[in-house]
Amino acid sequence: MDDVRYEAPESPDAAISLLAEAGSSARVFAGGTDVMVQIHAELIDPGVIVDIKKVPGIMDISESDGAYTFGAATPGMVLMAHEGLSSTWPGIIDGVALIGSIQVKGRASIGGNVCNGSPAADSTPTMIAANAVCNIVGPNGERTAPVEDIVTGPGKTSLVDGEFILSFSLPKRPAHSGDAYLRLTPRTEMDIAVVGAGVNITLDDDGTCTAARISLGAVAPTPLLVAEAADALIGTKVDDAALTKMGEACSAACNPISDKRGTKEYRIKTAAVIARRAVEIALERAREN
Amino acid sequence: MATQKKDLLGQRLTRLEDPPLILGQGNYAADINFPNQLHMRIVRSPYAHAKITSIDTAEAAAISGIVKIWTSHDIADLPPIDFRADKSSEELKPFRQNVLATDRVRYVGDPVVAIFAEDPYVAEDAADLVVINVEQLRVITSADDEPGEFDVGLSSEAGLLTHTYGDVDAAFAAADTVIELDLRTGRHSGVPMETRGAIGVYDADEDILKLYGAAKVPHRNRDTLVRMLGRDEDKIELHEGHTGGGFGIRGELYPEDVLVLVAAMRLGRSVKWIEDRQEHMMAANQGRNQHHLVKIAVDKDGMILGMEDEFFHDQGGYVRTHGANVPNRTMCMLTGAYNVPAYRALCHFRLTNKTPAATYRAPGRFESTFVRERLMDALAVKLGIDRIELRRRNLITSDQMPFSLNFDEPGVEDMEIDNGDYPQLLDKALNWLKWDEMEADLERRRAAGEMVGSGIGVFVEESGKGPSDGARISVDENGDIEILTGGASLGQGFETTMAQICANALGVDYQRITVIHGQTNLIPYGIGAHAARATVMTGSAVNVTALTLRTKALDLAAEMLQLPADSLDIVDGTVIVTDKSSGPSITLAEIARRNEEGLAAEDFHKTKESAFPYGIHFAVVKVDPETGSIDVERFMVAYDVGCMVNEMLLEGQLVGGCIQGIGGALYEEFVYSDEGEPMAVTFADYMIPTLDRVPTVECMITEDAPSPHNLLGLKGGGEGGINGVGAAIAGAIDQAVGIPGAITQLPVTPQRMKEILNNS
Repeated sequence: MDDVRYEAPESPDAAISLLAEAGSSARVFAGGTDVMVQIHAELIDPGVIVDIKKVPGIMDISESDGAYTFGAATPGMVLMAHEGLSSTWPGIIDGVALIGSIQVKGRASIGGNVCNGSPAADSTPTMIAANAVCNIVGPNGERTAPVEDIVTGPGKTSLVDGEFILSFSLPKRPAHSGDAYLRLTPRTEMDIAVVGAGVNITLDDDGTCTAARISLGAVAPTPLLVAEAADALIGTKVDDAALTKMGEACSAACNPISDKRGTKEYRIKTAAVIARRAVEIALERAREN
Repeated sequence: MATQKKDLLGQRLTRLEDPPLILGQGNYAADINFPNQLHMRIVRSPYAHAKITSIDTAEAAAISGIVKIWTSHDIADLPPIDFRADKSSEELKPFRQNVLATDRVRYVGDPVVAIFAEDPYVAEDAADLVVINVEQLRVITSADDEPGEFDVGLSSEAGLLTHTYGDVDAAFAAADTVIELDLRTGRHSGVPMETRGAIGVYDADEDILKLYGAAKVPHRNRDTLVRMLGRDEDKIELHEGHTGGGFGIRGELYPEDVLVLVAAMRLGRSVKWIEDRQEHMMAANQGRNQHHLVKIAVDKDGMILGMEDEFFHDQGGYVRTHGANVPNRTMCMLTGAYNVPAYRALCHFRLTNKTPAATYRAPGRFESTFVRERLMDALAVKLGIDRIELRRRNLITSDQMPFSLNFDEPGVEDMEIDNGDYPQLLDKALNWLKWDEMEADLERRRAAGEMVGSGIGVFVEESGKGPSDGARISVDENGDIEILTGGASLGQGFETTMAQICANALGVDYQRITVIHGQTNLIPYGIGAHAARATVMTGSAVNVTALTLRTKALDLAAEMLQLPADSLDIVDGTVIVTDKSSGPSITLAEIARRNEEGLAAEDFHKTKESAFPYGIHFAVVKVDPETGSIDVERFMVAYDVGCMVNEMLLEGQLVGGCIQGIGGALYEEFVYSDEGEPMAVTFADYMIPTLDRVPTVECMITEDAPSPHNLLGLKGGGEGGINGVGAAIAGAIDQAVGIPGAITQLPVTPQRMKEILNNS
């Protein structure tokens, strides 16, 4: 490993210029729970590490008229401890809670989880299901993008050199909304998803589903937003037939690999199971508020 | 044997060894440093089986800070890693591992080059630059595969081993029912929290080689090193520091241990090596990997007539220090707690291109109990006899004790079970569990659609195999006591156990006792900590030595106090008149001061016999039919240990062992690709159970059958928690999913479970 330069800029512009200047040899560093592991495993050999945690707002949580915005580097444990966020978006918190150990979550952030680009990231599916928007800064100014547009392949993102995510914005929640994340692993803690499912649904006063977003992790090169699965629920009372159809749509959308954690067939089969169970949890939550 | 008071035994005394550990003052291998030391890095084979054509170290050697690079040519005078003296076998000698691979590599991880550098990071960087050129050879990744060539003209089937008694053919001919099963146990191992480490130091003035980081069997490894290096016994010292877990795999003599010693001598500087986790997962001993084709013959009442087993033992790349110990123990223990009148076992002891295998906690027992109890479950279903009743009918009874298995093969050691009341333990365990209620409840839940079930694993353990161990105990002039043993501590509470036994026998406060272990220069002998021997062998030695010391102290006090010795007692370190709190007294410190020779004793416990504890495991599991995930809802270990020294420590052993067993039954597996590449070299892929995956393990410890082979009746507790876990969980899953005989392979990962459900 060659010498690595560490920088901790205190403004977005300073961070952007450091990142833009170093190009592909730069690494954005928030909690470091992926970057440090990758350096030690010699998977990456960055020339400069840009620690963005001193950039104003990058670890803040705010709320305006029911809509939350939180900094991309906010540690998972801080998100979990935030009463408003965790009661409004319990599904996002489900996902965050499954990332690593308590110690890892004390540093790991959703921004990092998304930008690491793993198809099995635990916070990404619910963020996609939540319709979360990334507030991105970069050499060409600010822009926004939905979370599902960020990951383009394993370890790859659509961010260009110099860009990083400053914060995420979540929409205001309509009444009778609920979200949930479930994952399947051989072991329930400290493990990597074989299948992950993030679900976000809204019901009307009669319990008919008016909106739904379903996202799957670990079953394709990127986290998937499965519109067909959501469509199977919208307009229904989320009854057994709708759930079955939704599960079939999930299985059909899967394009997984076989690896030591699970064969392709196992993943396709269980994607439907996990998605259905996540919908059931989201449904219960939606009915409660 | 005379009965001895055991007032202090069984009590949950807190651990003597904890203060430095919880204050961060532990002295683990990585904490040990010597001035001017070099750091060793091993370049390991990335090939599973290949002929080495050349090794290019030039680029690595050019890095600043590299002091020396060795290939096998540089240490051509060293013999292979030898078997322990009691495991030697001429036929197996060609299969031993060289310190560095010579012309072939036989598993991914096989040490090929040793780099010595000023800095461990520099050594690691240099390792990346070493080029090993090879011609790849046929890779064997399973003991089921047709044997290949271990070496030119040498088959990879190292031997056919057998254990036989009785007329097996007649038993099967007379059988009313025969069951045949095809069963597999996966490859897993103890993965101690502390990886291995070795620091070699050469004291040129005294011409003594010192190895730090030793564990488990320092004296036996010293003896092996004496043979391998041709040095006198007093010219090699092994030193054990704190040890972060062993489980049978840590502390054996490995190539790296020999390398640091030889390098320290030849390079004139101390040499330190600390294994990283990834290395550990491909270099430290693995185990369990067996494939059994087994059958059992019974009469119309379900009484066993005979058992026959042919199995394939996946030994990995080399035969290590234990020789063929694991397959032999598998064959010895397969009949377990049952009357099996005729028996034949045949083992194909086969080398494969995987990490070498050796003893891991309950070696051969976890495997054989799984096989035997799968047979019993299958029989119960086939015969329509309740599985508990079937087992009860076949259990060896207390009036059959001592119970001998006398094998026909010359040289195969007979086994004599000292004592035990297996039906009694079964009754006690069923009562404890409220078995009938539990079964009814599970039945109700199954009727309501849940996949829940219970399973059972009955087993016999072997512990405290001799031949002898000793101890020295001394009281200093302040009344502090030192126990000097040749025992070893892997973290199991050895010091507390020895102190508690000594305090009980001598009549002193255990907190005033210091226990020394694992230092070969301080005491010439020592049995170490393996095969559940520490408490039985070293503990018994400490007990007899403490009794000898007690007699000595009382005799001296009698003279000093002018009272008959038999009127005296020792309480809390003071000799008093029995049962009198007032009256003449003298402290042990005072006796030590006044007696010219001080106050000390050395004595030995010698035995030709093993002590056989026994146990029963019960598991309740719930299977998720849609994902194949398995929850262990309840686990109970019933275990007779003869005499318990410290309940807390014993529970620690049983619970810890049980959780490792759950790992082996459900999660842990060293998976290899078809090319022999190890696929589980991190804890992300080799999954030990996390706390949320295991229930609170219930322990029912009994002391109904104290061993007649030592004064206290001690039997070992190190392996009773793991032995029957695979068996009990397999039985529970069968019942939960309603498919008799569903489980034929461990571990039962969710994916395997789901496949079984899909195929049914």
